Order: sequence, then structure tokens, then C-alpha cells
Amino acid sequence: MNARPVSIVMIEDDEGHARLIERNIRRAGVNNVITSFRNGTDGLNFLLGADGSGEVSASHSMLILLDLNLPDMTGVDILAKVKSNVHTRRSPVIILTTTDDEGEIKRCYDLGANVYITKPVNYESFANAIQQLGLFLSVMQVPVAD
Amino acid sequence: MMRVAPSLVCMPLFSSAFARRTVTLLLLGVLALLVIVAAASWLTVRTGAHTEEVIRERDLRMVTGTIQTALLDAETGQRGYLLTGEPRYLEPYTASLPTIREGLETLSSLYLQQDRPDERLTQLKMAIDEKLAELAETVDLAKGGRRDEALAQVRTDRGKATMDRMRAILDGLITEAEGRVTVRLAELDRASELLLWVAGFGALLIMLFAGGAAWVVVRYTAQLVTARHELQAANASLEERVAERTTSLTRANEEIQRFAYIVSHDLRSPLVNIMGFASELEVGAEALKRYLEGDAMQADRAKTAALEEIPEAIRFIRASTGRMDTLISAILKLSREGRRELNPEPIDLAKLLAATAASVQHQLDEANATLSVPDKAPVVVSDRLALEQVVGNVLDNAVKYLAPDRPGRIAIVVSQSPGRISIAISDNGRGIAKHDSERIFELFRRSGTQDRPGEGIGLAHVRALARRLGGDISVRSELGRGSTFQIDLPARLRVSDSRTHLEVTK
Repeated sequence: MNARPVSIVMIEDDEGHARLIERNIRRAGVNNVITSFRNGTDGLNFLLGADGSGEVSASHSMLILLDLNLPDMTGVDILAKVKSNVHTRRSPVIILTTTDDEGEIKRCYDLGANVYITKPVNYESFANAIQQLGLFLSVMQVPVAD
Repeated sequence: MMRVAPSLVCMPLFSSAFARRTVTLLLLGVLALLVIVAAASWLTVRTGAHTEEVIRERDLRMVTGTIQTALLDAETGQRGYLLTGEPRYLEPYTASLPTIREGLETLSSLYLQQDRPDERLTQLKMAIDEKLAELAETVDLAKGGRRDEALAQVRTDRGKATMDRMRAILDGLITEAEGRVTVRLAELDRASELLLWVAGFGALLIMLFAGGAAWVVVRYTAQLVTARHELQAANASLEERVAERTTSLTRANEEIQRFAYIVSHDLRSPLVNIMGFASELEVGAEALKRYLEGDAMQADRAKTAALEEIPEAIRFIRASTGRMDTLISAILKLSREGRRELNPEPIDLAKLLAATAASVQHQLDEANATLSVPDKAPVVVSDRLALEQVVGNVLDNAVKYLAPDRPGRIAIVVSQSPGRISIAISDNGRGIAKHDSERIFELFRRSGTQDRPGEGIGLAHVRALARRLGGDISVRSELGRGSTFQIDLPARLRVSDSRTHLEVTK
């Protein structure tokens, strides 16, 4: 059995969004550690390591919350890298973004995204969606790290 | 893009100016010809008259001569007969009598023809009659054997005097006739000469007019041929132009969609924040309210709300409103820039580059970097402000994103191909990842380490401007090595080219 709990890695450029997401996840009773990154470069460095090999994450059980519109790169690139790396490809990736472009959604699932959620502009719906996501996360099984 | 040449536009199928010019020249030619014909006819008639007169004068002179000779013959015959008494000596006398009479008749008819009755003709007739009478009398006397009487008659000198008078008249007539012939011949000469001049001058005029008409026709034909070639070329490139225009319109349409998408997404993000934190504010306020209404259980909750949650929510709302304002300003700026009327003018590219380089000199010095600008560059026709902004933005970026571990080197190189110029701005800075080489030109997108301030507007603006100028901008880069931004522009900006791109940023 894995002694270390699942950690949540959030890559979200908008600080406000990150804060709101975190708050609503907490409200759903999820208490896992949330590591937040404001841009793609830092997020990728954390996930795959400075050398990009992904070995740093070999012993982590992670769940990734990913925004697509980042200032320095697109979330699709991060998704592709995570899903093509041996050490990180089993980590569930939840796309949480404002984009509702059909092509983008298809592309993300093709690349191996597990869930794709569009951020609602209406805050009621937004809070609701995130809280339900939190509930979902609390029962969700994440593969145990090797 | 090719345009129909101006001569095609202003040249109708049949030029009325051309028709007028040709017809005028030809009419002038015909007029000259008529004048020549008239002059020549008149001169010819006059020459004919002169010639006839000359012939008549010659006849007159000849007849006069004949009469003179015949009279001498008659006198010789009389003298011989009187001397010898032999009838054979009388022969010249008998033979000359009809000649004299005929000659006299011819002479009077010639004078009658000329319609100039002459005193001297009557005198001559009288003198001849007198002389012939004297001759006949002496000959008759001699024939009748009265030779002495006849000789006495001769010795009276009456015959000689008559002869002398006749000779004087005849000589006068001859001299006069000869004088008139000379005058007529001179007139004839003058007339021929005049005819020659008229003909020569007329021929010259006709040649001039015909040449002029021919020149006009040749020139017009040449224009027609040129126009036809231009038309053919225009037709040939029409297909190409349609394809080009379609591509450019498709591109413009894609750009509009992409732009709308980016704008809607980027405006939605702060909106989510504002609404979210407004709700959070409400939650905090609710906790505070309950505490203030006397629910002591809520003391901790109210404290957190008042000290953390509410100020945080306000901070985020304020930041998001500021962010929205920035975005809207940026969109407005691009929109205004897209609507600005381009004003093509000749620009000395070398000067423009030098001025732009001077404006970043301060940053270069701070970064301890060097910049090389070409001394010579072609003159382009473009919009000065737009070109300055394009070059300035790219140059700013080059200075801004130099690699901190090595001295910066930036170089501007200008190259030229027919109708196009290209400005390459190379640096040895941090470079751009391959998958970001298009993304950097999108609005609000940036690439690489986010350690410099910026909104992600500059290059989007540059690309929109470059396309409005009828060109484009692209980048070749190697991450960690440096980048080369290549600005490709037409050497001559035509304002109609920018119209499709105007739509993009509207």
C-alpha cells in the first residue's frame, strides 16, 4: 500500500480562479495537498523535473487540474507531455478551462485527458461544478505510484 | 498583386482624338494636292500659250525672211535681164513673184491672228506693190526693146529707195519678232521653273502630311498593341489574383475567428473572478451579519471573514476589473490601429532603422548589448508610423529577451528581391520553442519564462500591422540560441492591399 496520499497539482494562470477552485474543493471536504502553479513552465518543471524525464514524479500519486490557456504555453502541450511520459501518464488529468471549442475538447481526449470541464461564467454553477468535482475526487481511485 | 494598367482604363476602343488627328492630316494632304494640281494646270495652260506665241513669232520671222529673200531674188532677176536681155536671167524674178505674194498673205494672216494690226504692214504692202510695179514696168520696157528707157528708170534710184524702205521695215519686223521670242522664251523658262517649285513644294507638303498621318496611325497601333498585351497579362494573372485574394480572405476570416475566440475567452476569465469573489463577499458578509446579530458561535468565522476573506475578495475583484480594462484597452488600440488610414510615402529604410536603433540605445547600454544596423538600405514606399511600430516592437523584444548569461548581439539585415524587401532582426537571446513560433503572434499569448512584464499584445499588433502593409512577419528560432524575426514587405505599398486586413482588427 502506498503510504503517501494523493496530491493535487493545479496549473492555472489566473490566481483568482485558482483560489476559487481551491476553496470550493475544500468545501467539498477534500483535504489533499494542493500544489498550485501559475504558468506552464513551472508546472512542467514540477511534474517532469528540470531534465524533463519525469523521474521526479515516479513515486508520486498525483491528480492534475489543468487550464488550457496559459501565458507561456498551451495546456494541450502539457497534457501531451504528461500523457507521453512513462512516469506520469497514469496520473488522471482534469482539464478545467474556459474554452468550449469542440476541436479542443476532442484533441484533449485524444491525447488522454480523463475529464474535460468548461468553467461556467455563472458563479453558482461554477461553485457547484467544482464542489461536485471535489466530491468526485474524494471517491476517485488514483493509481498507486510504483 | 497586379492591377490593370492605367492606359487600358483611359483608352477607349476607338480614340476620337486619334480619328480627328488622322482625318485632319489627310484633309490637309488632299488640300495641298488640289492646290498643286490647280497651280500646275494654270502654269501648263500658260506655258502652252507661251509656246504657241513663240511658234507664231518664229513663223512670222521666217515668213519675213522669205519675203526679203524673194524680193532680193526678184530684183536680181530684173537686173540680170536688163543687163543681158536674155530671158533666162529673168527666171528668179518670175519665180519669186508668187512667193512674195504668198509670204505677204501669210504675214497678214499671222498679224490678223495675233489681233495686232500694224501700220508697218500696210507700209510694207505699199512699198512692195510699188517695188513690184517698178520691176514690172522696167521688165515690160526691156521686153518691148526699150532697154535704155528701162535703165534710165533704174537710174532714177526710185527702185533702190523703195527697196531700202522695204528692207528697213522687214529688218524692223524681224528684230521685233526676235525680241518677242526672247521674251517669251524667258517667260517660258520662268513658268517651268515655277512649276517645278510648286510641284516640289507640294510633294514635300504631301509627304509631310502623309508622314504625319502614318506616324499617328503607327503610334496608335503601337498603343493598341501595348494595351492588348497588358490586357492579356491581366487576364493571365486574373486566376492567380483570385486565388491570392481568396487565400487572403480565408486567412482574414480565420484571424477574425481566432481573435473573437481569444477575446471572448480572455474577457471571460476576469468575469468568472468578479462573479466568484462577489459571491464569496456575500458569504463573508453573511457570516459577519450573523455575528453582529448576536450569534456568538460565529465569532471566529466572522473574524476570518472580516480580516481575510472579504479583503481578499475585494482585492481579486479589483484586480480582475483592472485586467478587463487592460484587455479592452488593448483591443481598442488594435481596433484603432486597424482603422487608421495608411499613408504610403517614400521612406529611407536606413534612416528609419537608425532612428529606431537610437530609441533602444538606453536599454542596450543597460543590458550591455550591441546592435548593428545596415548603412545602406533601399527606399521603400510604405506607411511610416506602421513601419516604425513594427520594427520598434521587434527590436524592443530582442533587447527585452536577451539571454542573461552572455553579452547580447542584435543585427538588422535588409535584403531585396523584385518588388519585395525583407528586414531580418536577429538576436542571440533566449530563443523561442518551436511549438510556440506561431503562438507568440496571437493576442495575449506569451512564451517561455515569464520573468518580464508584458501583456502579450506586441507581436499580435506587429503581425496585424505587417499584414496591413501587404506583408507578414515570421520567426525562426532555436531555444537557448536566439531568434530571427523576418519582416517581409512589398517595396511599394498599395493602399487597396491593406483592405482585407483592415477587417481583421476591426
